[in-house]
This record gives sequence, C-alpha cells and structure tokens, in this order.
Amino acid sequence: MDIPFTVSARPDTGLYNAKLGIWLFLASEVMLFGGLFSAYIFLRVGADYHWPIHELPVLPGFVNTMVLIASSVTIVMAWASLKLRRIFQFKLFMAITVACAGVFMVLKGFEYNAKFHHYSVELQDGTILTGHLPHGYEIQFGEASELSLTIQSENAAMDANPVKYVFPYLEGEAPAFKLTDGSEIRLDEAGFSKLQKETVAAAREKIEKRKQELVEAGKKGEADALNVVPPTTVKLTAVSPMKFSVKPSKTFGYTAESITFKDGTVVKGKLLDDRMTLEVDGVDARSVADKEKSLAWERKYLGDDWKKVFIANRDHAQHEFKEKYGDGRDPLKSATLQKHSYFIHIHSTTPSDHAPEGAGHSASNEAPAAAEGGHGEEAHGHHPTVVLEKKDISFFSNFTPKLNTYYAIYFTLTGLHGLHVVAGALVLAWFWLCNGKLLKTNPEHLANRVEVGGLFWHFVDLVWIFLFPLLYLL
Amino acid sequence: MSAAAIPHDHSHTDDHAHDHHEQSFIWKYVFSTDHKVIGIQYGLSGLLFLLVGFFLMMLMRWSIAYPGQPVPGLLFLENLPLIGGVFHDVIGRWAPGGIVNGELYNMLGAMHGTIMVFFGIVPLGFAAFGNYVMPLQIGTIDMAFPKLNMLSFWFFFISGVLMMYSFFSGTGAVQTGWTMYSPLASTTGLGVDNVWNHGHTWWLMAMVFNISASLLGSVNFITTIINLRARGMSWFRMPFFTWAMFVTAFLLLLAFPPLEVAALLQLSDRVFGSSFFLPTGLMEGGQHLDISGGGSPLLYQHLFWFLAHPEVYVLILPAFAIVAEVIPNNIRRPLWGYKSMVYSALTLGFLSFLVWAHHMYLTGMGTMMSTYFQITTVLISVPSVILLTCLMISLWGGSIRFNTQMLFASAFLPMFGIGGLTGLPLAFNFIDLALHDTYYVIGHFHYVVAPGTIFALFAGVYHWFPKLTGRFMNDKLGRLHFWPSLVGMNLVFAPMFIQGMAGFHRRWYDGGKYFEQTSADWLWLNEVMSIGAFILALAQVPFILNVFMSIKGGKKITNDNPWDATTLEWATPTPPPHGNFTFDVSAQRGPYEYSVPGATEDFTPQWADEKGKPVVAPASSPAAAHH
Amino acid sequence: MADNLEEIQKSIKKYIIIGSLLIVFTVITVGLSYVELPTHGMNIMVGMIVATFKAGLVALIFMHLNHERSVIYKILAFTFVFAIVLFLLFHFSHGDPLVFKDFDATSAVSH
Repeated sequence: MDIPFTVSARPDTGLYNAKLGIWLFLASEVMLFGGLFSAYIFLRVGADYHWPIHELPVLPGFVNTMVLIASSVTIVMAWASLKLRRIFQFKLFMAITVACAGVFMVLKGFEYNAKFHHYSVELQDGTILTGHLPHGYEIQFGEASELSLTIQSENAAMDANPVKYVFPYLEGEAPAFKLTDGSEIRLDEAGFSKLQKETVAAAREKIEKRKQELVEAGKKGEADALNVVPPTTVKLTAVSPMKFSVKPSKTFGYTAESITFKDGTVVKGKLLDDRMTLEVDGVDARSVADKEKSLAWERKYLGDDWKKVFIANRDHAQHEFKEKYGDGRDPLKSATLQKHSYFIHIHSTTPSDHAPEGAGHSASNEAPAAAEGGHGEEAHGHHPTVVLEKKDISFFSNFTPKLNTYYAIYFTLTGLHGLHVVAGALVLAWFWLCNGKLLKTNPEHLANRVEVGGLFWHFVDLVWIFLFPLLYLL
Repeated sequence: MSAAAIPHDHSHTDDHAHDHHEQSFIWKYVFSTDHKVIGIQYGLSGLLFLLVGFFLMMLMRWSIAYPGQPVPGLLFLENLPLIGGVFHDVIGRWAPGGIVNGELYNMLGAMHGTIMVFFGIVPLGFAAFGNYVMPLQIGTIDMAFPKLNMLSFWFFFISGVLMMYSFFSGTGAVQTGWTMYSPLASTTGLGVDNVWNHGHTWWLMAMVFNISASLLGSVNFITTIINLRARGMSWFRMPFFTWAMFVTAFLLLLAFPPLEVAALLQLSDRVFGSSFFLPTGLMEGGQHLDISGGGSPLLYQHLFWFLAHPEVYVLILPAFAIVAEVIPNNIRRPLWGYKSMVYSALTLGFLSFLVWAHHMYLTGMGTMMSTYFQITTVLISVPSVILLTCLMISLWGGSIRFNTQMLFASAFLPMFGIGGLTGLPLAFNFIDLALHDTYYVIGHFHYVVAPGTIFALFAGVYHWFPKLTGRFMNDKLGRLHFWPSLVGMNLVFAPMFIQGMAGFHRRWYDGGKYFEQTSADWLWLNEVMSIGAFILALAQVPFILNVFMSIKGGKKITNDNPWDATTLEWATPTPPPHGNFTFDVSAQRGPYEYSVPGATEDFTPQWADEKGKPVVAPASSPAAAHH
Repeated sequence: MADNLEEIQKSIKKYIIIGSLLIVFTVITVGLSYVELPTHGMNIMVGMIVATFKAGLVALIFMHLNHERSVIYKILAFTFVFAIVLFLLFHFSHGDPLVFKDFDATSAVSH
C-alpha cells in the first residue's frame, strides 16, 4: 500500500511525483515573484522622485551573485555525484552549497544593518540630506501640568491610557494629579483603572437617570434608544510640572502648546525643542527647482563654502558630459548626469578638507557604498553637523521601507528572496545530514530528493540573477 | 526514468507512517494523512465556518432592517449566570447596549466576506469534496503527498484560528471590506502603538497561512491527477468532477501568489511604514500622513483582483463538478456533451485570468483598458453558458429521480442562471459605473455563490453521505431543508436587484435610513430580506439534525453502490478503508455510461466489464495507463 | 533526463563551464551598467537581456529544461502566459493611450 511513483517515474508521464510537484510549486513561485517584479515595474514607472541608480553597495551584491552561482554548480554536482554513488563527493558538495547559503545571508545581514543606522531627511523645498543622527530624534516638551483624557468605557478597544501611552516618555517619576473637584490621585495602573471605573459608572448613572426621566415623561421610545454610555472627558492637573522627551512618531501630533499622545490624551505645556541634529554625509538637490537656492545653503545649514563645492562639482560633471557626448545628448534626460551634478557626497567636516571636485565626482562613481553609508561606524566625526529646524523638515526616515518605494520594494524582494535562501538551505542541510539511512537503503530515492531540492535552489539563484541588476545596477 | 545501470530499489523504507494499521485515535483522526479523513476535516471545519459567516450575516441583516435597535438575545446572553461575564466583555466592547453600530457592521461585513469565501466555500467545495472524492474517482490509494496534504489542513486550521482571533484583538477585526482596498486599509487604525494589537495584521497573517494551505493542496491535487490515475483511467475517462478539480487546482496554484504579494506589501505598508499603495500627498483628517508616498492604490487593486477573479471560478467550478455528478446519476442518462463541458471548463480557467480588471471600471484606469476587459468578460460568459446548457440538456428525456440531492442540483441550474445573467449588465462598463457597489452587485454574486454554489455543496453532502457513513440521509428532512432554503434564498437575494437599481449602497449599516428622502420607496424591502434570512436560518436546522441523526440512525445501505452510479468511488467498500480499493481497480470505459443499449442494467460502472463484474487485473503496478 | 550514467559523467564538465559562463556574464552586467547608453531605458533593456540569457542557462542546463517531459513544458507555458499578463499590470494603469497621451514608459524610468 505504497504511493506509486515516489522513486521511479510513471511511464506515460515520465515523471516521479516529487518532480511534478516541485515544478508545480515553482510555477506558483514564478507567479509570486512575477507579482513582486510587476510591482517593481509599476512603482518605478510611476515614481515621482529620482529612482536610485547605483545607490546600493555593488560589491556585496556582486559577491553574493558569485556565491549563489557557485552554490548552483555545487548542488547540481552533488546530485550527479549521488547518481554516480560517489558518496564522499556528494556530501562535500552539499556542505559547500549550505556554506554558500550561509555566506550569502551574512553578507545580506551586513548590508541591511548599515541601512538601519543611516537617515535621509527631506527638506520642504525637496533638498535631501543624508547622514546619521548622533542622538536619535526626540522632541522636548516641558512645563506641562494639564492632562485631559477621554474615557469611553472600561472595555472599549481604544481608550485613554496615560500609564501606557504617556508616562513612558516622562522624564522622572509621574507626579500626583488633582481632579477638578480638588481630590488628589496617583496615576499608576491601579489608580487609573479605579478612575476609569468611577468615571464610566458616573456616566452610566447619568444616562440611567435620563432614561428614567424620559420614561416618566411618557417617551419610552426615546428612552430605549439611549443605550450607549457616552465618553467622558476628564481634566487632571499635575501638582508639579512634567517634562517629556518623545519621538514624534509616538504622538498624534503636537503644537507649541500641546501634545496629543496615541491614546488621545492631550497634554498642555510648552514645546522646548524640536530641532534635529544631523551629521550630513550627502546633499541631493535633484528635486529642487533652483538648486543654488536649496535650503541646504539658504538657511546656512551647510553654508556658502559647501555651496561652492557643490557648484564646482556640478560644473565639472556637466563639462565632462559635454566633452564626452558633445551636443548629441540632452543633458536633462541623462539620469546619471543629474545624479553626478546635483548629488554630492561629503567625507570631511569642512569644505576645505573636501577632496577636489573631480575626485568627488569619480568617488561617487566608484564607491557607491558611500551613498548609503556602508561605513556607519567610522562616519562619526568626519561630517559636518547641522541642526535642522522642524519647520524645514518635510519627511525623514532611516533607509528602511519607509524611506521611499524603492527601498520598500528592495527590502521586500531581497527579504523574501532571503527567506527562500534560508528555507532552501535548511532543506538541503536536512538531505545532507539527516538522511543517512535513506542514503544506505535507497540512494536513488535520496537522489530524487536532492534533484527536487536542487531545482528549488536553482530557482532561488534564477530570481537573484534578475534581482541583482534591477536593484543594484540599473 | 530508464536508469539502465542502477538497480532500482522499490521497497519504500520511509515516508509511510500510514503503513501502521493500528494507530492511536490522534494519528488516525486528528493528524491523519489519509485523504478521506482530511477531506472530512476540511468538510466539518468548512461547514462550521459557513455557520459563523451566516451568523455574522444575520447580525448585519438585523442592523439593516432595524437600525439602532438592540439585537434580540444579545443582552440576554450578557445576563446569563456564570458565562455571562465572557459575553459582557465582548458585547460591551463591540455592541454596546446590544446595538450593531457602524464600526461593528464594518467588521461583520469584512469578516462575512472573508470567512464565506476563503474559509467556507473554497475549503468545502475544493478541499473537502475534492480530497474525499477525487482520489477515489481516479482509482488511487491516496494523494501523491499525504504528509503535505495533512500540512495543508493544519495550515488552514491555523489560518482559521488567527482569523477568528482577530475579533478579539485590541481594535477588533478588520473593518475595510473583504477586499481590503488601500489606502484605507493601509492606514486605518495605524494609531495603535502595537501593530499586533490590530485585527488587520491578523487578517493578513491568516491569509498568508490560508494561501499556503491552498498552495499545498493544489500542488497535491494536480500531481495526483496527472501521475496517480489508475490503469485505463485516461484523461477523457475522468469524471467531470475530477476535471473541474484539476482546473480549480490550477487556478489556485497560479492566481493565489499575486494575492500573497498584495498581502505582504500591505503588511509592509502597515508594519514598516512603506508606501506601496499610498500615493504622494495622501492626507487623513486634514493632515499629511507621515509617509513617503509614491505608491499607487491601483497596484493593490490589480494584484488583488488578479487573484480574486479566478477565485470566483474556484468557488463555482466545484459546484459544477458536484452537480455534474449528481445529475447524470439521477436522470439515468449520460451527461450531455461531456467533452464540450471539459473543454469549457479548461477555457473558463484560462480566460478567468484575463478578466480581472472588470472589477475596476470605476477606478479611472482608462477607457481603452475598460473596453479590453469588457470584451474578455463578455467572452468568458460563453464557456459558462456551455456548462449550464449541457447540464440542462442532459435533463431532457431522462427518467429523473427527485431525491434530495437532485432537488438541490436542479435548483442550482436556475439559481446559477439568474446569478450569471444578472452579471452580464455588470460586464458593460457604462452600466457598471451606475451599479458599482450597489446591492445589485451583491445580489448578482450572491445568486452565483449562495443559492448556486451552496446548493451544489448540499447536493454533494446528500449524494456522498452514504459513502462516508454507510447510511442514507433522511429524505423527508431533506425536503424540509430544501424547500424553505429555496424560498429563503430568493427572498433574501431577489429584492437586492431592485434596491441596487434604486441606488442602495452596499456599505450602509442602517440599510439606507439615513438617506430616507431618496431611499424611502424601497426601505420596506430591508425587512423582507431580513425575514428571508431568518427563514433561511431556520431551514438549516433540519439539515444539521439530519447530518447528526443519520450518522447513527439513518437507513442502512444495502450495497456499496447505493445510487447505482458508475464512477470509481462507488467501487470501494463502505466506508472506504485505508488504501481505498479491495481489488486492483481499473477504468474500462467512460464515466457516465447510463442506460447503455443492450446492457443488463441501466448503469455500466467504469470498473465493470460487459457483464458487470469488476475487472481484476493480474497483480502488477498500476502504471500502464496508455490510451 | 540526464539519468543515463554516462551522460551524467559527461555533464559534470558542462556544469562547470556553465557556472563559469554565468560568472563572466555577471561581470559583463556590472560593467555594462556603468556604460552610459543614449537613454537609461536602453541600459535597463541591455541589462535585462543579459540577465534573461543567464537565467536561460540556469533553467536549461542546471534545471534540465533542455530535455524535460512534455507535461512540465505545458505547465510552464501556461504559467508564463499568466506571468506576462501580470507583468503588464503597469500598462493597464498607466498605458491607456486615450487618457495618457504623452505617456512614454522609457522616459518615465529615465529620471
């Protein structure tokens, strides 16, 4: 009572089950990655910003390509060796394949990690400053004493909860609070829960009373409609002023006088500081209408000396372009020229230390790693530090999917591909290490398994063959 | 594989946990790799989810007909001794005062759609019936990959648990419709600090598991059908049921991955703050969102409908499959136009990939694109009509046995017909612009799926129940199930066409009361429909009683082929043991040889030679299936 | 299928040659990406042609698609038809000549 055709092929189809199965699975994978690549084309065609070209470090990507190609060769060699019953070679090739997968993932890890610590700040006029945030970014809010919360009911899904959403950002201990009736209350877990219960009970009592009145007035219909306990807004005053430092993303917004936290609690006080300190390692003025009037120079963030470097770099790039192509090409249509002209990378603290403009240009050409901060550690202390006004910042993010659709699709595609690498390596490692019994009793069956696992592995390689040029090169 | 030099070892040493015949209860019924047990597991959980989806619908219909009034019974639950506390929390949170408010209504709407489509009908039609019947019909002992088959069910189970859990997560279940259109679905409730506290995240996670389950299932189905057919079971001796499962499996295999992409990208939008589906400059509540923009909501809709249109055929093809088995058996005539039905099903499958954007006429994707999709959409009605017509012509001149399954199968024909024909106007983009998102659309697809597919599923239950249990289901209770269901279904769905053309929008939680100045004329239909839904609910009671009572108390069957059927599943003992067949089964003829002139009986089974005896071939591998 | 032992023996050499070819073409891809063609769209085109060639080598030789069974070819043929439809998604949204008269995909990707 065995399932037929697990080892030998069915004569009329010429296939054993697993082989048919894996090809069907790969067909489905084609549609999965097809959908993702389609999304890539969709986003790129519709992009309303300068799609990054040569912005990722090419070297790790290139090495990873080599590693995957090598593993593709070794896995097919492992299968051939097993078919020929060269057991030692089989095991060796399997080991190399799994090791290649490991190298691939480690390199990928370094690549990802550099991006998490590198930030990009877009100013209101479209100028993009890249760099590092030495202290992170938190706003300072002080002299706060009034707290107002809207309590809905003790089991509402989203309800005010200052203990969870407000006090974590408080500097020091939470002070005692006074209610409007003058009584004092301590807002810890128990204290707040008690306040919540009492407030809801009071609101419910009120509505019951109103219901009673309506019934007595002969309006039973109206009374029946009164079923829902309305929310109550509670005002609390702190006995001593509070000071908060909080990431803007942890709030629903703030003004000069108040912050709204994520649970809807509003704190009144005074905004002390919401400026951002950035160590700049790149200025991208491609999206600015008048590049020479970019906020990067206008607000003296980087100043006129850096502007001179910028202009010199631009002139050099445009001159070189003209020399190379004459009038044969429209400089406005060349994406690379745009990038070389208006995107400078900064490697030193002052403009005078900065490499001559010609070298600056070729540096961006040869070492694209600099563009996304491949060397996050040594970056500190080698870059000018600017303090950006909040009103100038329109958007900022580290180099994660949030930054733009390019990084979003980059992380999704490579992340999903990485998952496939891990899954494939686990399966192959299983065949290599844990199938000793099958190797002795039925090597042909194991060879089938290795072939099927190998087909998957080749597919993973095949996807990378497209990913590498699309994301790293073009 | 010729493998000249290497001696093959045909003894399979591993992979066969199912060889141990004395298995504990858990391995036999819970973590079983037997396709029949898995089919039953899928069937029971599918029926359970249908019931859940139905209950959500009842709450919605109450809110539509009687907006602002407490749902009867809800507050009573709250006041029960002992267990009342559990309900108190849930009801107090989502239905304060026992009233379905807009928020809850949105949750119910989204979850009703999701549960019915992905957790009710696909698992029942494809996974349950397909798993149980298909391997029997092609004469094999099990699926090609029994362990993957088990994994498929447990992935489905996990996805079901996650989906139901989403009701209890911090913000409750999703509220953005079963289609989860971005940007709304990418941004709602993002204020929650912890994304895992949001029902939407759980919805997406559940869908990832659900899709993986479908994927494993469909790989299994296709491999089994291609590689494990019994001797003599050539492609055109396969019953239409198996053909339909084959096409359905391909639809699932190739159409689901783009939905997985859509789900992953939306998850990224929500969890990592990316902007795949969010355009530049998107504002919410008068404020710019903290996003980069640059994405497109259209991308989501394309990816979603690339799945969701083939999904419609995943819902309907198993229904056709079941009806195409029940009808020839109960009219004692061959299926009319078997080959054209097979080709139609294949064409239907192919075309279903090319029509998806007819759901998107209103997105402004351009008139030329609309015209293109309009053409393919009208085109796809041709194979559907061929399928329906073949089934109808089959009836002509038959000696029809009106048992319960035949009642359901014959009701399927006009019901699906209404559903299909009301879809034609929607295929034309200028009419669709007016009818988009109205109750007309709801009426259209519910006629296809509810009285269409679900009736076919009921027919299947009555038809194959004797094979599962060795007992018939009660015919009287069956009729008590059928007639009120038919009335209830039509009472619920027919008025929707009227309301739809009057402009009733599908997402009004008060059924249109707010727009009374324009909707007043047809508001009364809300109550009619809700009464219809109530009748429908009551009509299911006899069915549930029937299923449970017949397992132990139904009339016993007298032989293994109680309906005098011809296909191979009736050649097994009852219920089929592990390994299915007691003899070396082979297909001697086509699947629907009823009333063959000159034969001694009015049916000639596939496994029988001319005299009606099973053909037992000399013991050899069931490989040589050349025909 | 390469399961004749002699064929397998022979194909080992082939695998190594193909592996080296793939590495050579990867270097070519990287090099070509720094050559500025008249439009960036052409750069993408060339890069994709090289990548498709490499992918073809992997599929044909490593995945044995140069001598596979007809069932598998049929399945893949259908898959590729649907995959190509999927790739045209952007066209279905941005490409309507009646609406987007000035639309030009190559210029859209060149900035």
